[in-house]
Amino acid sequence: MWKYLLKKEFKQLLRDPGMPRIVMVFPLLIIFVFPFAANMEVRNIKLAVVDNDRSDQSQLLTEKCASSGYFELLDLASSPEEAQRLMDKGGTDAILTINSGFAQYLKTGTDKSDPLPVGIKVNTVNGTRGNIGAQYLNACVSGFLASASGIPAASGGQFEIHETYMYNQHLDYKAFMIPALIVIAVTMMCGFRPALNIVSEKERGTIEQINVTPVRKTTFIVCKMVPYVAVAFFMVFSCLLLSWIVFGYVCKGSLLDIAVFTLAHILAIASFGLLVSNFSDNTQQAMFVIWFFSMVFMLMSGILTPIESMPGWAQDITLVNPLRYFAHAMRAIVLKGCTFADTWPDLAWLLGLGAVTTTCAVASYKKTN
Amino acid sequence: MKEIFAFIQKAFRHIFRDRRTTLIVLVMPIVQIILFGFAISTEVHNAVVDVVGDPGDPVVRNIIDRIDNNKYLSIGEFHNSPSEAEVRIRKGKAKAFLCFESDFDKKFSSQGKAVIQIVSDGSDPNSAQIVMNYIKGVLQSSQVEFSERMFGVGTTSMRPNVQLMYNPAMNSSYNFVPGVMGLILMLICSMMTAVSIVEEKEMGTMELVLVSPVKPFWIILSKLIPYLFLSLINFVSVLLLAHYVMEVPIRGSLTLLSFSALIFVGSSLGLGLLVSVISKTQQTAMLLCGMGLTMPTMLLSGIIFPCESMPVALQVLSDFIPAKWFIIIVKKIMIQGVGLQEIAKELTVLSGMAVFLLWVSVKNFKTRL
Amino acid sequence: MDKDIKSIEVRDLVKKFGDFTAVNDISFHVFKGEIFGFLGANGAGKTTAMRILCGQSHPTSGEGSVAGFSIVNEQEKIKKHIGYMSQKFSLYPDLKVWENIELFGGIYGLSDKQIAEKTESMLKALDMEKAKDMYVSDIPLGWKQKLAFSIAMVHDPEIVFLDEPTGGVDPVTRRSFWELIYKAASTGVTVFVTTHYMDEAEYCDRVSVMVDGRIEALGSPAELKGRYEAKDMDEVFTKIAGRR
Repeated sequence: MWKYLLKKEFKQLLRDPGMPRIVMVFPLLIIFVFPFAANMEVRNIKLAVVDNDRSDQSQLLTEKCASSGYFELLDLASSPEEAQRLMDKGGTDAILTINSGFAQYLKTGTDKSDPLPVGIKVNTVNGTRGNIGAQYLNACVSGFLASASGIPAASGGQFEIHETYMYNQHLDYKAFMIPALIVIAVTMMCGFRPALNIVSEKERGTIEQINVTPVRKTTFIVCKMVPYVAVAFFMVFSCLLLSWIVFGYVCKGSLLDIAVFTLAHILAIASFGLLVSNFSDNTQQAMFVIWFFSMVFMLMSGILTPIESMPGWAQDITLVNPLRYFAHAMRAIVLKGCTFADTWPDLAWLLGLGAVTTTCAVASYKKTN
Repeated sequence: MKEIFAFIQKAFRHIFRDRRTTLIVLVMPIVQIILFGFAISTEVHNAVVDVVGDPGDPVVRNIIDRIDNNKYLSIGEFHNSPSEAEVRIRKGKAKAFLCFESDFDKKFSSQGKAVIQIVSDGSDPNSAQIVMNYIKGVLQSSQVEFSERMFGVGTTSMRPNVQLMYNPAMNSSYNFVPGVMGLILMLICSMMTAVSIVEEKEMGTMELVLVSPVKPFWIILSKLIPYLFLSLINFVSVLLLAHYVMEVPIRGSLTLLSFSALIFVGSSLGLGLLVSVISKTQQTAMLLCGMGLTMPTMLLSGIIFPCESMPVALQVLSDFIPAKWFIIIVKKIMIQGVGLQEIAKELTVLSGMAVFLLWVSVKNFKTRL
Repeated sequence: MDKDIKSIEVRDLVKKFGDFTAVNDISFHVFKGEIFGFLGANGAGKTTAMRILCGQSHPTSGEGSVAGFSIVNEQEKIKKHIGYMSQKFSLYPDLKVWENIELFGGIYGLSDKQIAEKTESMLKALDMEKAKDMYVSDIPLGWKQKLAFSIAMVHDPEIVFLDEPTGGVDPVTRRSFWELIYKAASTGVTVFVTTHYMDEAEYCDRVSVMVDGRIEALGSPAELKGRYEAKDMDEVFTKIAGRR
């Protein structure tokens, strides 16, 4: 019996108008488009300079900032008001104001009672960007002051600081995002589709035909899921392969571990989708609710923004989000080379969630009532 | 005119009769804005920093205390060697560790220099950078204090005057909530519209309506009006929550904001209409909106990942997404508090998109039936 | 027809959904090889009753047997021995004709060899050999109908349940469909059919008419026409169902 049902499911999947094409396209998007977008690096900070001192010194300071590589220098603004208007329009991210008396200030030596006639304004709507912009500008100014006036930026003791980043020396965002984007793709393609598939069989009436046959409901559901699991494996491994070919990212951990997690994840998500569809009156409702949950799952999974950044109650909510565990495990395995010794809590949670949703889904899917 | 009114009435009734779906459509945005408004954040809380070094050393002790007192960081465990600390990072128990040279105090006071290594978990580049910056900030202020104490040198406490504009507390909600608003508004509006119009197409009642003497343009308009209405309700509820629950300010003109929202909803309706023209079945419509619109909007329109950080090619792509322009407008009006002049460019582009989308869909509506 | 064997037996069957009684204490039997017409207006309880007989629903009270198996606690066994054709002729539109046959053959436990043989003989009998590789969505309605019926019989069941099998089909095709039914009945298959078309009621050996959950009339068309002084089943039906 299984053989024939599986044959049917595979054939239907392959003949579905959208499926095979999307399955081919998605890995390409994940490798070639999305990682480049999913980047929080602060770059191309637009800087406007208001130079009221108009001295050689102020020009040198401006040049130093311009050549630091952090900023995109805009044309000099003629007045602070104009610069502010520019910032309001979004035309600049930062404003460096060098007030008159700057050159004079540099000449008068170490003991200063007057404040430094330099002002920094940054747009902190994006707090990180603003903060980093301010830091860079500060560094440029201090560096300039140190070299220009002969005053060391920090005399006396100095900490010699060496920075290292483990696993990702160059802070390559793409390496970080790709394993997680794979999770999103797999969830969307293979997670919820089985449930929607069953709903559409309900609406077409073919499910009635199956209900009258000796086919058990567990058999039917499992056979529905198998092709999607196959598709999921295909997507995961083709993405990993592509990311190796295109970017040279090697998966540091075990592929088998990844396969196990993929299976556990699909189980959890597919049964959840089924649960939703069992309680929906029609396809429209089921689809809306599933979409709602997929948004919540995606945005509150730590894939795009860290879970540690969420408030406590939100972090608690993520405990029942399968994507959280799958994404965390994927990153741990691919980037850090973690083994089951490290990832078993994720697997335990994932399987636990899956067990609960599967039981509820199968119970509420009634062939007989 | 009377007929059009009748159509509008019918469309309204049709929606509100399906109670569950209406409930979903009105309640979902509220739940989503609360969840995402709070959960999407890149702020770092209590990043655990381990230490490899001698806790008895006074300078080391001082630094450790400062770090623990810092509201973003907290001290984890002490280790005897870097490799022990590395294990903690691999397991994800610590975000970074500091490695102090042996005899740190002695070296610092006698040679004026001592080495500190900061090793950070690079797998999440964004958090890594933020944590690194915080640590360095602490180290810098510690360095200043020690230099003054040990060497009596007032290092250049000459610092430029720094102003953090619009969002001095650097709440990440200011950055993300406008984006979430736009995302929710657009997706729900376009999905609702697309799915229900396709449903009518599937049921065949659309054909019935189109043979009436009323021009197709008015028929389509009458279909869109209830969704316009629902979307505006969504906008208001989302805005209220953003302001009162998430404390995002509304510094600019509410009227201007509402007007922009109206245009944005128009563009979303246009998108939904376009999707309904292309789709033959409800499932297709749902997939197109759910995946085809959700993914690019979430990743490319600047909601989570800043457009400025993207490569030029993707920035151009994001220009085609209406949500991008709306979010810029919202941020400018709500957080920067600017007026019509400063958002003129974005508003024009958004209006143009709305008109174009509506025009294209209306034109193709009848022919594609 | 074999009056010694009762393929279907129902005694005091009741089905309630909360306060609403869909099937209100019905009792009847169907002989082996009989063509039994199960008539009634929409909402009279026909579909509910049929679902119970097919093992898809639990009776609230009462008992009965289908193909010798109890409708109360042997539902899975019932399913192995019956065939079913739904209103929507539920074949899979995105599978080919032979693939549908293979699927249901396999589900009912036929071996590959048997499936191949069945496929050949079925398509020959239906004169659909050329359509073997066509997608079910592409074949005309009349063919779908006959194919669905044949597939319902692929495992040679004792009883076949037909739920409004001739909906939306022209009279000529309906006529030829009933020839298929006759053929099946003549080989000893019991046919349990519901329909709205009263002229089809004439083709049955016996019919029952359900109104508001009860069986108001049961007998052969000739008997019923006599009893209700009607010239055709249409009138019989109007007289019975119209009484309420």
